[in-house]
Amino acid sequence: MKNYIKFTSMRAGNFSIALFIVMLCVSISTMAQGDGPRFYWKTLAGMYAVPVIGSSMSGNANPLDPSHAVIAGSNFEASMATPGFARIIPLFKRSAMVSIIAPMGRISSDLTVGSVSSNQTARGFGDPMLQLSVNLIGPKAIMNIPDMLRYKPGFSLDIIGSLAIPIGEYDDESPINIGQNRWYGRIGMPIVWQIGSWVPGKRTTFEALPAVWFFGDNNDFVGKKMETKPMYQVEGHLTRDFMERMWGSLDFVWYSGGQATIDTVQGEALNNIGIGGTLGFQINDNMQLNLSYVSSINDSADEDLKMDSFRITFIYGWHKLIEGMHRLKGNE
Amino acid sequence: MKLIYSFLFAVILLQPCIEIRAQVQAKRPNIVIILADDMGYSDMGMFGSEIKTPAMDALASEGVRFTNFYTHASCSPTRSMLLSGQDTHINGLGAMDEWTAPNQMGKEGYEGNLSTSLVTLPQLLKDAGYHTYMVGKWHLGKAPDKIPAARGFERDFSLLDGMGSYWDMTNMTALNHTSVFTEDGKYLTKLPKNYYATETYTDKLISFIDEGKKDGKPFFAYVSHQAPHDPYHLPKDWRNRHVGEYDKGWDMVRQERLKRQKELGIIPENTQLAERMWYVPDYSILAPAARAVVGKKMELYAGLVENLDYHIGRLIDHLKEIGEYENTIFIVFGDNGAEGTDLGAMIGGTPGTLNYLYFASKWSNNHPNAWGEPNSYVGYGPGWAQVSMTPFSQYKGWMAEGGIRNALVVSGPISKLPKGSINNGTMFVADIMPTLLEVAGTKYPDNFNGKAQPKLAGKSWLPVLNGQAASPRTDKDYIAWEVFGNRAVRQGDWKIRWEIKPIGKSDWELFNIAQDPAERNDLAAQNPDKLKEMLILWDKYAKENNVILPDRTVFETLEDQLPPRVPVQEGYPPLINIRQFIPPADMMAEPKEIKKN
Repeated sequence: MKNYIKFTSMRAGNFSIALFIVMLCVSISTMAQGDGPRFYWKTLAGMYAVPVIGSSMSGNANPLDPSHAVIAGSNFEASMATPGFARIIPLFKRSAMVSIIAPMGRISSDLTVGSVSSNQTARGFGDPMLQLSVNLIGPKAIMNIPDMLRYKPGFSLDIIGSLAIPIGEYDDESPINIGQNRWYGRIGMPIVWQIGSWVPGKRTTFEALPAVWFFGDNNDFVGKKMETKPMYQVEGHLTRDFMERMWGSLDFVWYSGGQATIDTVQGEALNNIGIGGTLGFQINDNMQLNLSYVSSINDSADEDLKMDSFRITFIYGWHKLIEGMHRLKGNE
Repeated sequence: MKLIYSFLFAVILLQPCIEIRAQVQAKRPNIVIILADDMGYSDMGMFGSEIKTPAMDALASEGVRFTNFYTHASCSPTRSMLLSGQDTHINGLGAMDEWTAPNQMGKEGYEGNLSTSLVTLPQLLKDAGYHTYMVGKWHLGKAPDKIPAARGFERDFSLLDGMGSYWDMTNMTALNHTSVFTEDGKYLTKLPKNYYATETYTDKLISFIDEGKKDGKPFFAYVSHQAPHDPYHLPKDWRNRHVGEYDKGWDMVRQERLKRQKELGIIPENTQLAERMWYVPDYSILAPAARAVVGKKMELYAGLVENLDYHIGRLIDHLKEIGEYENTIFIVFGDNGAEGTDLGAMIGGTPGTLNYLYFASKWSNNHPNAWGEPNSYVGYGPGWAQVSMTPFSQYKGWMAEGGIRNALVVSGPISKLPKGSINNGTMFVADIMPTLLEVAGTKYPDNFNGKAQPKLAGKSWLPVLNGQAASPRTDKDYIAWEVFGNRAVRQGDWKIRWEIKPIGKSDWELFNIAQDPAERNDLAAQNPDKLKEMLILWDKYAKENNVILPDRTVFETLEDQLPPRVPVQEGYPPLINIRQFIPPADMMAEPKEIKKN
């Protein structure tokens, strides 16, 4: 009896509520990975997510300093865990996301200048970063489940603002720190461009994020003042579903500018490219796992940024309505 | 001189005959039958639909709408009557090929395809000097002696199966996995590039018409569209033209269509909507997500009908371009009630079966965003089928008006009635053959290939279309049907029907269709004499047409699958329909806290 009703009039079981929990993640732009693919897809307003991002980074610049000032002859190694929290809200009928991340972990550097080598390590909590993104062009805020079912990004353009709060651990006698001891943030305009149909298993997008980072002064960088010019960042992703719950992405990131000056000594401006890839897997309606690797490619000269990074991102998302449906389903 | 006068006199005498003959030759019209597969009674704009069908509406505006036109309750039986003019139990479709019962197997009239003993409409029109073309779905036999080319069509591009993909040759079951097509009498190894059923059928027909027009002969075109039969396959541009429009639900859309039908004069002012089928949920109790998904099925269907209408419009435009439109008769209708049964679930819905595996492989591209694409399977179910059949009860396969009554548009030089007329005469699909034979100036033969031909079952519409009669039938004439064991007779205002439980009562019911087209009131107990009178007609029909009631049917287990039948009444039960009580604002107050010492 139930089956007849299900099949004849209501056959919608294949429309999994898994749709509600999408690639919601929290920005972590430390390291040359950018925000990552499928970050600016939209989901149901009222949705919460807790991401935990594990990163292993290596290179000739402090990966936790977004300006990525290159220190020739150095080798940085960082192991970081970055939990976060995000919520999707409607803002003037547009989809918006507020989020915060709190990086923590350890970083060490080996520096060799001539025959002199030094080793330094920093550990603890980094600067938390707040971010607000608001969609400008594209589907309106997803206020209910029908909106969610009908969501297709088409061509979407957002505006984002990020701000790091300099309360992370900082040792003014060490050039290596988890905290940055300065305000910094960015403004960007992420784009998601749907290519072809929007069917799980077939979704394809081109995504881009042009952004400008602004840095306040660090007035106590080993007793000196460090100024950093704005840095321009463009990241791009070509993403494609492999199956309904598995997708991949080719990732590209380009950094330019960000020239640091310590007292009167000017450093080099960046002009670097990183490429890499991401594999994403939706574990169930609530959980998503992404694995990424990115590496700089134009890095043969000493002053070039050399950096690579592995990243594993686990996201747990929930919405009270969906959870209620889960509970009812469990009671059947 | 005398000789000259004699010659002139003879010429003067003969002149009217020559002119008449020339006029007859010149005026024989082209004939286009447009058959929409499973399109419902109220799906055309001029029959009350919100679906945009400007091409079909234009034909209706220039021609006549018939509100009491009957087909059969399912596909191939209707087609067999259209092309043979004979009752289904005589023409080979006493049972559908897919559902022939054990006791019908091997019996004459129950072959499951169009009997080769009978002459066909295209054959007679071809013999009468018409070009005969067919595009689209055939469903009347696949063997070489049963395909369109063997049954009178000079040119064809045909899907021989009853359903399948609109995009490719994927068919519906593990054992019948590939659709079979013919073109000009040859079985196709593959489909043309960029094939999409409705578009390709139209393109092919246009090419047939263009290639055949050089000799000046009129043409008969049987445009047997696959649309809008499920699965709802349609081009991307047509999939999202009604997003969210059907979230309001089937009850609301039925009411809107009913209102428009009354405004258009399609149905009497006092017509009520048929009861919603009891197993179709009240839309108002559905959650928004369910409404959106279920509503999307109707969005797809509406897009499919609009795409069909667009291609019908292309054909009309082409006929106008080549100067043939004014001399072309159009006959447009759906082949049976709208489809309310989920054929996909019926075929491939049981885990562990071969067809389930086949569906997993071929028909599982079923995320709603994929609906319309190749390998997707969506049909809209009984709730929306009842919308398509507004204001009637039931749908395809059944004998209520929702199963057998359809919208009919006839336009072109055949009609002398005022443009945009509405006619309420009782018409039948078997009437089309005698009507068109008369139009073509030919007759139904007594013998065909040495075999005596039965008397035609239908009646010509020309007296109606000439304005000489309101109906081709008198009050004594009757029409009868039987398929899947469901059966009915209509005579005048009255109708009896027998349908298997639980859709029917497994007993005869009696309705006054003129007063109660929605068949809400079974009058069998109230009017036993009328019932008896009608049953005599049924017995006569069954005897004359060798009706063998099936001992197995597609619906035999339905009673075990459906919930117990209960009346459907708006607002019941109040438990889930009572709205939140909101007290008067001036009587609202905060609670008084108890002060504890």
